[in-house]
Amino acid sequence: MKNRLHVLRAERRWSQAELADRLGVSRQTINALEAGKYDPSLPLAFKIAALFGRKIEDIFTPETEE
Amino acid sequence: MNKASRTYIIEFGGAMALYVVTLLISVNLVQGMGPSPLRILLAAAPIVPVTLALLAFLRFFRHMDELQKRIQLDAMAFALGATGLLTFTYGLLENAGLPQLSFVWVLPLMVALWGIGTVAAARRYQ
Repeated sequence: MKNRLHVLRAERRWSQAELADRLGVSRQTINALEAGKYDPSLPLAFKIAALFGRKIEDIFTPETEE
Repeated sequence: MNKASRTYIIEFGGAMALYVVTLLISVNLVQGMGPSPLRILLAAAPIVPVTLALLAFLRFFRHMDELQKRIQLDAMAFALGATGLLTFTYGLLENAGLPQLSFVWVLPLMVALWGIGTVAAARRYQ
């Protein structure tokens, strides 16, 4: 799903590898998350939110169904 | 490359090298032997390094993150279905006269399909 991960990461000038290390996941996962190709599990979503000091809903936007 | 990957490559590679050596020795010795319990043990000896390779993979799997585990799951599901389908089909074809193949080829087939499945599954998340 759509998310602001790329923007939040850029604000802190972290590389994908750095963000991966901070979250304890692979760089492949960060790549997939930012590309919207993979949705994180709930525990990982909370980890991401805590790392950026935001709420999950401020970072991830589910696709709305018409 | 992280520590888990490096460990895996060393352990798996070592097990594979041991497998090749064990297989060559086993096949050569067994050919010249008469029936005996020792011959059966020697013939089955390559199972040991194969088991070591499997254990190396299991240790690696435990260190994977959620996406990597998901990719492995997708790949294994594909390998299971494709191996089942292919081997069952060939079994039926053997009835129609195609050359009989040894069971020993099933595992390499499954591992190859698992490898293909891994690449295909990973692509979906790129």
